[in-house]
Amino acid sequence: MNNLPQRDAFWNKVYANAKTDRDIIVISADMGAPALDKFRIDLPGQFVNVGIAEQNAITIASGLALNGKKVFTYAIAPFITLRCLEQIRVENAIMNIPITIVGVGGGFGYEDSGPTHHLLEDLAIMRSMPNITINSITDSVMAEHFADLSCREKKATNYVRLERATLPVIYDKNTDYSKGLSILRTGGNCCIISTGSMTHVALDVADKLAKKKIKVGVIDLFSLPINEKHFLSAVKGIKKIVTLEEHFLPGGLGSAVCEVLSDKGLTLPVKRIGISTEQGYCYKYGGREVIRKHLQIDAGSVAEKIDGFIKA
Amino acid sequence: MSEEKMAVGRLKEKANKIRKAVLDMCVRAGTGHVTSSMSCIDLLVALYFDNILRYDPKEPLDPCRDRFILSKGQASPALYAVLAEAGYFDPAELKKFAQTGGKFGVHLQKDVPGAEITCGSLGHGFGIAAGIALAAKLNRELQLVFTMLGDGECYEGSIWEMAAFASHNRLNNLVVIVDRNYLCVTDFTENLVRLEPFEDKWRAFGWEVKRIDGHSFEAIRETFKNIRSRTSGKPLAVIADTTKGKGIDTMCYNPLWHGLAPKDEEAKKAKSCLERSWDNE
Repeated sequence: MNNLPQRDAFWNKVYANAKTDRDIIVISADMGAPALDKFRIDLPGQFVNVGIAEQNAITIASGLALNGKKVFTYAIAPFITLRCLEQIRVENAIMNIPITIVGVGGGFGYEDSGPTHHLLEDLAIMRSMPNITINSITDSVMAEHFADLSCREKKATNYVRLERATLPVIYDKNTDYSKGLSILRTGGNCCIISTGSMTHVALDVADKLAKKKIKVGVIDLFSLPINEKHFLSAVKGIKKIVTLEEHFLPGGLGSAVCEVLSDKGLTLPVKRIGISTEQGYCYKYGGREVIRKHLQIDAGSVAEKIDGFIKA
Repeated sequence: MSEEKMAVGRLKEKANKIRKAVLDMCVRAGTGHVTSSMSCIDLLVALYFDNILRYDPKEPLDPCRDRFILSKGQASPALYAVLAEAGYFDPAELKKFAQTGGKFGVHLQKDVPGAEITCGSLGHGFGIAAGIALAAKLNRELQLVFTMLGDGECYEGSIWEMAAFASHNRLNNLVVIVDRNYLCVTDFTENLVRLEPFEDKWRAFGWEVKRIDGHSFEAIRETFKNIRSRTSGKPLAVIADTTKGKGIDTMCYNPLWHGLAPKDEEAKKAKSCLERSWDNE
């Protein structure tokens, strides 16, 4: 199939739904996408550009939603989340006005744009609030699914964290996303739990380790908060867990996994791989792989770390 | 007595009743923004009891209702007292304001019938009101959306982001009332960071602007009498000059009263201020 960037797969689906549902409104903070161009041209009454004013986008969206609209806000991911934390907290968490917050560029998606555009804190912050669900998107097929889901009547807000890069397709149209996670590889006593673009790294790591006759499982955890029941069922029998994220370690995916394990009294060894606050923000240029190597979250470095962890 | 005079007399009487209720609930609770409430009570009373706002307290979620969004959520005691008086809920609930077992506290809470939103953090209600107004436009509905801002709230950048957005999108179904009481939390606005020339700022953002005495029912009635037949495509900003603490002379012109309820002797003095007849002013 013709693979699309996640944002285009997402907006194509929203566009298809919006043609027959006039209540669907897209609010862009001056952020484009080829798929949004036709939305703007064909459905001008359902497209609002608020300018580079992300906070305003969240508040207007919430007002529209209070008057019956199904609203999507759209901007570069760090700006539509962290910059708008106050608005999201009051309008969407406290008041529970349901909207869909769409951000492009989780992790180092905007690789050469520097730390203002890198996003290494959003999972920790967005999952700390009630009434917000995070959908951390792995491929364009999943993007399309969550676009469709977001067009339906909703009880709470979801934050759709889209990858900027076009990543390989690993899901198919019949995938069941309702568990919030998907077991992509099984085998061995150790399992990598990852999200977003790092799931592709995890698969690469599993391949590398397989060549050394080391089997590891891979779980793609794409919805937060974690669905505890399905999570516990997915890690049943696993002896060691590795979490892998392009995110600061405090409060991120690894923390979320440890919280569930701890709450359930499961004392498995867990190795969290991500970016420590000691490593800090990154000013390395030359592409995402350069950054990942520098921070030792590239497939080679991760494979080595896991090898050591398994043998320890 | 002319009809106008009778109407104004009724509104004054109502406003005095609301002021007493607000003072009583805040003194009882020992908390609440008394002065911030007093400054906007006349405006609220006109909106709710002079047929400006279209609402039905028996159908608080009627989709056709006009919306009133209190953006300065610290004036919740004023709105709660008005909503109780209008019949949205039992006035006995006011006595439990900010107390154990009470249904609402110091800042506005959306699950109170008629309150519409939760508010306390500033610079939110205005934008929500504009979003509601935009949806009404898209739906071709005739409802009006009113929102009340504090002048101190206008230091929030979000106010001006929204002011630009609302005029660009010709939200002429949106009416902003700014409670211009000149006092912020610790000082007078013009000492903090100048807001004036305030009208010019709103005009420059593309709004129709009216400046009125926010305690004159004659002026308020005149301002809103043709509100449903405006021909302007611009949203309307009504800058209402008010006095923070209005009606309680002992609490006016003193920033230290912000966010406080009077106690003991001060409470007695405040009550006696409100016992005076408004007609004698």
